[in-house]
Amino acid sequence: MDSITHLLGYVMLILPSLLKGALVTLEVFALTIIFALPLGLPFGLGSNSRFFFFKWPSKAYIWLFRGTPLILQLFFFYYFFFPAIGLPLDSITIAIITFVLNYAAYFAEIYRAGIESIDKGQYEAAKSLGLSRSQTMFGIIIPQTVKRVLPPISNEVITLVKDTALVSVIGVAELLKNARSAVNRDVNTVAAYAVAAAIYLLFTFLLTLLSRYLEKRFSRHEAKEV
Amino acid sequence: MEFVLQMQNITKKFGTLVALDNVNLSVQKGETVAIIGPSGSGKSTLLRCVNHLERITSGRIVIVGQELANTNEYGYVFYPKEAEIRRLCSNTGMVFQHFNLFPHMNCLQNICYAPIKVKGENPIDANKRGLALLELVGLTSKAEAYPAQLSGGQKQRIAIARGLAMDPKIMLFDEPTSALDPEITGEVLTVIRQLAQQKTTMLIVTHEMGFAREVADRVIFMDNGAIIEEGTPAEIFNTPKSERLQSFLRAML
Repeated sequence: MDSITHLLGYVMLILPSLLKGALVTLEVFALTIIFALPLGLPFGLGSNSRFFFFKWPSKAYIWLFRGTPLILQLFFFYYFFFPAIGLPLDSITIAIITFVLNYAAYFAEIYRAGIESIDKGQYEAAKSLGLSRSQTMFGIIIPQTVKRVLPPISNEVITLVKDTALVSVIGVAELLKNARSAVNRDVNTVAAYAVAAAIYLLFTFLLTLLSRYLEKRFSRHEAKEV
Repeated sequence: MEFVLQMQNITKKFGTLVALDNVNLSVQKGETVAIIGPSGSGKSTLLRCVNHLERITSGRIVIVGQELANTNEYGYVFYPKEAEIRRLCSNTGMVFQHFNLFPHMNCLQNICYAPIKVKGENPIDANKRGLALLELVGLTSKAEAYPAQLSGGQKQRIAIARGLAMDPKIMLFDEPTSALDPEITGEVLTVIRQLAQQKTTMLIVTHEMGFAREVADRVIFMDNGAIIEEGTPAEIFNTPKSERLQSFLRAML
């Protein structure tokens, strides 16, 4: 009994710092999603394009950001790129920019594959009705792509929750970093890690619910009976 | 005589394969023309050249008096700019073998989308006309249904209504019943028959010999990318002249 009260007391003691870290995690997560989801679209469309000057830059971008470790990209932007161009950004801003660029590349690939999975009969039907290329893309193809890309997007989004832990390497005080500080300070207890794990799990659980809801919503027109 | 479609000396090659070999075909206003022939004879390719789903290798295409494609003296084929191609091809409506309805839109939206987006029709008028077309194909009750909720025959009837919604001068049918179960081809054929009675100009690629014989004003037999024989249904089906048509009909019946 005594040890349980003791443990609860300890958790209450470290909780404010962990929650503060969780807020930073949430900030990195939310801003990455908000900017990376739309940024992926031009690159996804670009890598599908017939035009050389859209296609190859998009392909190169995706190759570069998917092909190198995220942690290396963080180091690059934090220690080299932004100092070199003389732009004094704080570490959390640099972390978010890096994450946006990295995740946009993954989303671009998902969009590209989603767009390519649409039957060519849809393009032909649209063309036979006189729809222009952009009307076809935005009115016919992309709306059908949404449902198909939702599962892989959810996957990436869950991965992103956990990837946010990487930003501690450039000194951002997010959830895991604060948990580790607590563990290092108060030897002989891993309670801080357990609480951090619980927060991550809660977070991914809520996202799983959200993605399930969205998938259902976007496949309602496929229901067999009304 | 008013021609809705003129195709002159059409050749289409896919690499070294000659899909169409110097084909000539004209369709008059109000005429129903059926194209028959074995698989791979170029029937569908010919149809797809009409509305620029395929580009011809040489020849000339004229839609309602305006040139879609022509070939110069050096054998170079030229088409107008993309917007102009779209404008010319909007005189044609197409019905595909696999329907190609838009699955994320309900039936009425499928029908009204192009008139609203391409012609800038007022959505209220477009919907009114859409409902009239649904009545024409006998599917008023399915206005709000999504394609996934329809049978194959119903899907194809919606696809016909969608094609008609743009007020095309000619309707192109690419094997409209080939993907359907035999017992439901009838409902689609009934709609096409109705259109023929209303003197809708139609070019129909079909494997339904009985239907071609009954509904067509003129039947064209193609084989190996060329038109082998053409004439009235009576001429084609009762007194086929060429050996190839005779053996084709023997195999079909």
